[in-house]
Amino acid sequence: VPEPVSESLKLLGFLDVENTPCARHSILYGSLGSVVAGFGHFLFTSRIRRSCDVGVGGFILVTLGCWFHCRYNYAKQRIQERIAREEIKKKILYEGTHLDPERKHNGSSSN
Amino acid sequence: MAHAAQVGLQDATSPIMEELIIFHDHALMIIFLICFLVLYALFLTLTTKLTNTNISDAQEMETIWTILPAIILVLIALPSLRILYMTDEINDPSFTIKSIGHQWYWTYEYTDYGGLIFNSYMLPPLFLEPGDLRLLDVDNRVVLPVEAPVRMMITSQDVLHSWAVPTLGLKTDAIPGRLNQTTFTATRPGVYYGQCSEICGANHSFMPIVLELIPLKIFEMGPVFAL
Repeated sequence: VPEPVSESLKLLGFLDVENTPCARHSILYGSLGSVVAGFGHFLFTSRIRRSCDVGVGGFILVTLGCWFHCRYNYAKQRIQERIAREEIKKKILYEGTHLDPERKHNGSSSN
Repeated sequence: MAHAAQVGLQDATSPIMEELIIFHDHALMIIFLICFLVLYALFLTLTTKLTNTNISDAQEMETIWTILPAIILVLIALPSLRILYMTDEINDPSFTIKSIGHQWYWTYEYTDYGGLIFNSYMLPPLFLEPGDLRLLDVDNRVVLPVEAPVRMMITSQDVLHSWAVPTLGLKTDAIPGRLNQTTFTATRPGVYYGQCSEICGANHSFMPIVLELIPLKIFEMGPVFAL
């Protein structure tokens, strides 16, 4: 009998925070930024409504900033993983032959 | 295949689908933030005590809400166009298969290395064995090699159909009198399902597509090369 698939948390019903890379990290930092910005503004101005506006704006900006920063690093990591995977494959296929990547590298360094 | 009540995308089996999933996550985060802002604006509208509706001269706000959506659209359009052009890259397919839509089954032709032609009908419920998937399994699957670029030529013999396999990020219309082309490279072996995606009559929901992706060495030993 197949096991039931567990429901993941979806913000506003569609953003899957658990399974989307960088989403949880961005939302958490965004929430922290929102609280800091909103509460800080209130401490200085004692204006509730405007502090809420600042809080919401802070949430959006901090989330967006963290999101782009994290996704950029994630993309870099994926590229490095792909290069490593290709090199390992090449090494396994060509080890001991004239196409061995390590042999080529050692040959060029000794010259 | 999709599990019951699945709303999100299926796991990727091709590099293009991986890119599509990444783009989908990117667009969804932007959509979430816009929805959050709109919900907050709606909340403010419902709870405001302000009664003066004769408001004018909000030049700064008008500038911001003109330029900001343009920036957001550029942030969405650039990755989208990148993937669009990626799907059209020349990748020198090593294998070509023709897929012809009929009412209500698919015909596949492997003509590169012989003349293998077969029909692929959905398995009727009475013919299902334990473990078979209702409305998805077929009598003859399309067997293809993994990690080899494959070209699909898609057309129809009667009405419009659409050949779709979500996990590969493929959906190509089968149009009578026209030959459409799509290419893909599968990255992992397995059995992958799709369904006809253009309304084509009474049994439109009952003409699925099943791909069986196997390692190249085993594919080379198969009946295609034995012809």
